[in-house]
Amino acid sequence: MQNLNQDIVKNVNAIISQALKVDEQKISLHSSLIKDLGAESIDFLDIVFRLEKTFKIKIPKGELFPEKLLTDARFVKDGQITSAGIEELKKRIPNAHWGEFSKNPQVANLGDIFTVGMIVDYLTEKLATANK
Amino acid sequence: MLSSLKDPRFCHKVVLVTGGSRGIGASIVRRFVREEAKVYFTYLSSKSDAAAVVHSTDKPSHAIPMACDVRRKENVETTVGEILEKESSLDVLVNNAGVIRDGLFLTMQDEDWSEVLDTNLGSVYLFSKAVAKQMILQRAGRIINISSVIAELGGYGQANYAASKGAINAFTRSLASELASKGITVNAVAPGMVNTQMSVAARSAFGDKIKERIPIGDFAEPEEIASLVAFLASGEARYITGQVITADGGLGLLSRR
Repeated sequence: MQNLNQDIVKNVNAIISQALKVDEQKISLHSSLIKDLGAESIDFLDIVFRLEKTFKIKIPKGELFPEKLLTDARFVKDGQITSAGIEELKKRIPNAHWGEFSKNPQVANLGDIFTVGMIVDYLTEKLATANK
Repeated sequence: MLSSLKDPRFCHKVVLVTGGSRGIGASIVRRFVREEAKVYFTYLSSKSDAAAVVHSTDKPSHAIPMACDVRRKENVETTVGEILEKESSLDVLVNNAGVIRDGLFLTMQDEDWSEVLDTNLGSVYLFSKAVAKQMILQRAGRIINISSVIAELGGYGQANYAASKGAINAFTRSLASELASKGITVNAVAPGMVNTQMSVAARSAFGDKIKERIPIGDFAEPEEIASLVAFLASGEARYITGQVITADGGLGLLSRR
């Protein structure tokens, strides 16, 4: 993770708490949105909408959370993400930590990738680029 | 109805009604204004009809007409965008805009198929999409789609209209399941024969005979449909979502005998 901007962390925690209706105390940078915090697909959109509003940025479709990748036969086979799929995911979500996932790249484990820290990293980079 | 005047349910609420310059839509506009909502409503072309609706409300400053071709995405997005620039919330969307282009299926013009589907169903898709983001951010919202009893019963010469309304019912259920966790309810109201200009052709073609097929023995007044819409939009209907509520005087019951 990059040097953390505490304002970003605070805002992201508040946003996730609102979107997922979870207590802020339960949210940490390592929390998985799906496994630990119970996020469903509509919640990812909710999070994106709130991030856009709070940080006054535009997040293009699929930039923070990938879309439609799991329905592409090139990227998914027998419940596993193919190596081409992992490369594609890395390209689309460079802020995620792919090392652990790559060892057992089951679709069911993909949710573990989406952590609070990943959002914080994404925003830190995005806001830094925007301010240049 | 009198009790609602004493106890308005929509004070400080912002409502958007599509196709609000005539018939059921105009009654819905009047109903929400009477219950102290601020009501934006779209109309396609008749500015004078829209102005007449504004002046027929209890508080004309709370009824705001907006010209909009509900079939066009850019028009719809502009309309919703303009409302959100002025208002901090958009609490209720009533997808009411609809047309009828009846005709035997085999001789139906392609344009009559497209116009009915684009207006009746396309607008529901476009407006729901345009307001959903705001409603998710609010964690509250009501989407009410005006369907028709024809969706379930079918109608002679109404393949286009029935298809559009049947799709609205299916859309209503699916969207309701997607948005429920965000505090947004999505329901449909399916009127039977209503005393409006739009149904005048059907009513006059059958004369009083059609009344004999309605167990209650009468047509609905548009205000009675507006009353149901207002209920679904209110806090009292918090737990109702994904439903198609029929108001047809029993017409559907009779046909299932």
